[in-house]
Amino acid sequence: MKRHHSKKQWQNLLIILRLFFARHRNMLSIGMLLAALTALSGLALLGISGWFISATAIAGLTVATAVSFNSFVPSSVIRLLAIVKTAARYGERLTTHDATLSTLADLREKLFRGWAEPGAARILLKRPATLLFRLTVDTDALDSVYLRILVPIGAALAATLLCALVIALFVSPLLALALALWFLLIGFGAPTLASSSASRTARRRSYGMEALRARTIDLVSGQTELAIADKLKMQCSAIVKADAYLAAADDRFNRIETATTAVFTIATAIALSATLLTVAALVDAQAISVPVATLAVLMTLSAMEPFSGLRRGALELGRTMLAASRIAPRLSSSAVSQPVNAPDGETALCLQNVTAGYEIAAEPVFKGLSLRINRGERVALVGSSGSGKSTLINLITGEISPSSGTVEAIARTRLPQKTELFRDTIRENLKLANPKASDDLLWDALEAAGLAKDIRKLPHQLDTMLGEGGLGLSGGQGRRLVIARMMLRNTPFWIFDEPTESLDHKTAQDVLNQIKTLVSDKTLLIATHIQREAALADRIIVMKDGQIISDLTKDNADFKKMFSSLKIS
Amino acid sequence: MDAASARQETPAEADEASVSTVSVANSISSSFTKPILSNLPGLRTGSLLQSTASLIWLLQAGLIAYAIHRLASDGHFNEVVLPALSVLALGILRAFIDMIGSRIIFKTARHAISRLRAATAEVLAHRSPLDTQKPPSGTAASIIAEQTEAILPFLQRFSPVKYKLVIIPSAILLCVSWHSWLAALILIFCAPLIPVFMALIGFRAKKASEEQMIEVGSMNAFLLDRLRGLNSIRSLDAVDATAIRFRTAAETLKQKTMIVLRIAFLSSATLEFFSALGVAMVAVYVGFQLLGDITYGAWGTKLTLGQGLFILLLAPAFFEPLQELSAAWHDRASGKAGIAALDRLAMHNLKILHSDKQSKNNKLSSPPEVLIQNIHFQHQRTNIPVFENYSLTVRPGEKLALLGPSGSGKSTLLAILAGLVSVDSGKVSVNGTELSDETANAFRQSMAWVGQKPHLFSGTLKSNIRLGRKEISNTDIDLAIEQAALSFVVANHNGAIGEGGAGLSGGEALRLALARAMADGDTHLVLADEPTAHLDTATAEEVTKNLLKLAENRTLIVATHDEQLASKMDRVIRLEAKP
Repeated sequence: MKRHHSKKQWQNLLIILRLFFARHRNMLSIGMLLAALTALSGLALLGISGWFISATAIAGLTVATAVSFNSFVPSSVIRLLAIVKTAARYGERLTTHDATLSTLADLREKLFRGWAEPGAARILLKRPATLLFRLTVDTDALDSVYLRILVPIGAALAATLLCALVIALFVSPLLALALALWFLLIGFGAPTLASSSASRTARRRSYGMEALRARTIDLVSGQTELAIADKLKMQCSAIVKADAYLAAADDRFNRIETATTAVFTIATAIALSATLLTVAALVDAQAISVPVATLAVLMTLSAMEPFSGLRRGALELGRTMLAASRIAPRLSSSAVSQPVNAPDGETALCLQNVTAGYEIAAEPVFKGLSLRINRGERVALVGSSGSGKSTLINLITGEISPSSGTVEAIARTRLPQKTELFRDTIRENLKLANPKASDDLLWDALEAAGLAKDIRKLPHQLDTMLGEGGLGLSGGQGRRLVIARMMLRNTPFWIFDEPTESLDHKTAQDVLNQIKTLVSDKTLLIATHIQREAALADRIIVMKDGQIISDLTKDNADFKKMFSSLKIS
Repeated sequence: MDAASARQETPAEADEASVSTVSVANSISSSFTKPILSNLPGLRTGSLLQSTASLIWLLQAGLIAYAIHRLASDGHFNEVVLPALSVLALGILRAFIDMIGSRIIFKTARHAISRLRAATAEVLAHRSPLDTQKPPSGTAASIIAEQTEAILPFLQRFSPVKYKLVIIPSAILLCVSWHSWLAALILIFCAPLIPVFMALIGFRAKKASEEQMIEVGSMNAFLLDRLRGLNSIRSLDAVDATAIRFRTAAETLKQKTMIVLRIAFLSSATLEFFSALGVAMVAVYVGFQLLGDITYGAWGTKLTLGQGLFILLLAPAFFEPLQELSAAWHDRASGKAGIAALDRLAMHNLKILHSDKQSKNNKLSSPPEVLIQNIHFQHQRTNIPVFENYSLTVRPGEKLALLGPSGSGKSTLLAILAGLVSVDSGKVSVNGTELSDETANAFRQSMAWVGQKPHLFSGTLKSNIRLGRKEISNTDIDLAIEQAALSFVVANHNGAIGEGGAGLSGGEALRLALARAMADGDTHLVLADEPTAHLDTATAEEVTKNLLKLAENRTLIVATHDEQLASKMDRVIRLEAKP
């Protein structure tokens, strides 16, 4: 079971990696090559410098050898390496970051599309804060796959290879093999060990962080309730507790990290000491010269360095895997939602014997519901919360599909209960409904929604930037802007979900009057529980427990009675 | 350098800082984080240990140079054994000292983070809900979680760098100049150029990256913003258009980020270039000196191979602290931003009435009389007072409606009665005892609050009713669930609700608020803030009925604009909207 789980995790990581390489293969490869070049030139710089100093020291012993010594080539190579190292490092950083950012941009778009599918969207909207927060931190956590794992692996392998090659050629193949094995063993072994012992801790950290956030949100949003219950102190200590949990995880993390660092330092000292002894024996046996011995020692000294880049990536691997396992499913999801077909003739909406609900396991909200609305009818849908109003609207707009029966509806637009405006200009907010709309068309829509005058007064008019959730407009203005946006879609069937909820009475009346003038030739379905909204309708449908319990047109004697039983505001 | 001044301050300043902790509780503090961050001796100890560990390299380098020198002067294998083993022993020693140092630094820094979080939670708990400057819950969460977290690497990495920056280069210069003044001069020449170039580039980078920080933040915000409005996007058939726009925004962000990164990388490339050049120049100089091509720079003598190698081995280490500084620079920036965010959060002057010293004896035992005498209250940043010389008496057990349009101050009056904000002048007394910091907690324990949008805590429905009040028995809770007609909700929501769980409908949430009040038998005063707003007729009627049931043998004050609800009370006070 556990094995299966971990296999699945690697698969998720693979999906993410494939995404990385699918579009930016070249850049990612160049980035890795440059990282290798950086490591190699660093290694060579120190090694050749050591060789140069030893060689010159020996040549300098007699005047004859000093004069014949070609110092030009090595000294130029040393200077060249200094420049190559710097340039390669700069290039590596630019390419790797560019490639990562491009991939993350792709990923964000893909995620948005994944979440915009009907089923996914509903889950997201049910528990927005946590999921949305996860989404952003998870995306950010993924950059370490390439930057902190793949790139250092490339650089470390190149450095080990060069070091082994040089030592094998000039010193001793046996020493080269031993050093290469040692570097690979420690360089990959220690981070792997660190990553496996930190993986649970990484998950704990992420959960601890979420608990800390949730408890803080509870403290701030539930402050009044907590104050009255005299539990502010308790909530503060809950936050302290969440932090203590995090601190324990942080501590374990730090212990693993410092231990890995220590292992690297000690491993380097062992390699250094062993190389020193080996070359000493070889020099003693006159198998190699002193400059070559120096070269070997100095290369050994810095060959482990590129591996240390792996340390952080390895520690974060648990977190990265968690992010991958949460994000990957969204990238390959394919929820099937049946399209809602258009009915024939004068019918605007036709439900026949529909059974529908949310989760497969749960009891369906409707069983065998039928309903017909004709073109041009204006219908108020009333019923207390939980009666099935929202489910009905979700069915009509195609957010959910019926498990049996048929739903047919003409082209329609729904105005959600909440005013949903976006952090963007007024123009872009409007053009969401019709990307090709000209400014004239936008102004027409604003005029019709009774908002043009207000917008003209703004210094930047259509280019005015709105804040998050449409911040910067009053409740009434926001509602009107949303209605103007609906106008631009201009479908024959409008669906309203409590359109004046949370507006004060005067503004609500203005907005409703505006709607009234706009819907003269449209079919209208309005979910409501107040009189001022129901006043738009000439037919009232009452729902209870997923059934239509009465269906009254204006000429019915009970229509007035039903109407006046609604709340005034 | 700023970091140094933030922590290493004169005793006088430290005193001032500890005074300001006290004043946090009262009102404005000059620096909220300072008392916690100014006195962290562990950082110093750890940093000194880490610097010592780095100094051990000087010994190792000397031993390696000596060993090779011996080999070159016809030495034998035996002579290398001791230096080689010493290199190993010193390496092990160095690893351990470094480890101990970094553990001490981590523990000190992490402890400071915990203290900061605890203090921040206190601040959030006691800033009045009526404070319009108070950050919304999401922002508060990110301050306490991520922004505070960013202070950890700042403390952890920046403080050892400060010590190393002073200790290591000077020790190395001393060793190098002992053998060759010219090699030392090369290092000195390369080192100061680095900060100059970095400052020049960094100056440009700072502005660019500040703009960038805002952009990166807004990219996530962009995604969140659109996902929140998915309903509209889907109903307008705009998924594709939004995805494309999102893509364009992401591309623009990428380009802007790359501009900043290019500058940032250029500044570290400068650093690397000079340190690589420094090493190369030292190597070339030492080589030519050994060859005899250059005869000066070594106190009139020719360098030996051992001396030359020693100098070469020390050269990269000379630049290492500078490289560490450059790497820690980013941590410093985000750490400082985190500290600033905490300080800003603590700057407020609107708090709820509370005190740690509570006189338990003024807990109520019967429906109280509430007396409001000549109160004056004004919201922040407005010049129109909500209440001016306002008085009101509520008799014990009375059911009173405060009726008025939004903006008339009815909810504010409830908040004043609950001690959630203090009045500018005048007084509020309950059963003859004045509402104050000392008495507020005890009073509140006898109060119940039914708000229009009750907050759902993350947890089960039952834990949401209990709200941590241990004195409430399970039987009380079951009874309250039944009385508030919540049984079917409990049946439907077995699991978690609130943040990270399922939501409740408006009617269900209000029933929950009523159940919270009903579960506590010690309640004698019920404050209800627009309990029927946004509810349909049937639910509103039911809530009204339950509210009246709750108010039996209790004093009830309800703020509302629902005439039907108001008509069921003993008395109605009309409040006018303020212009």
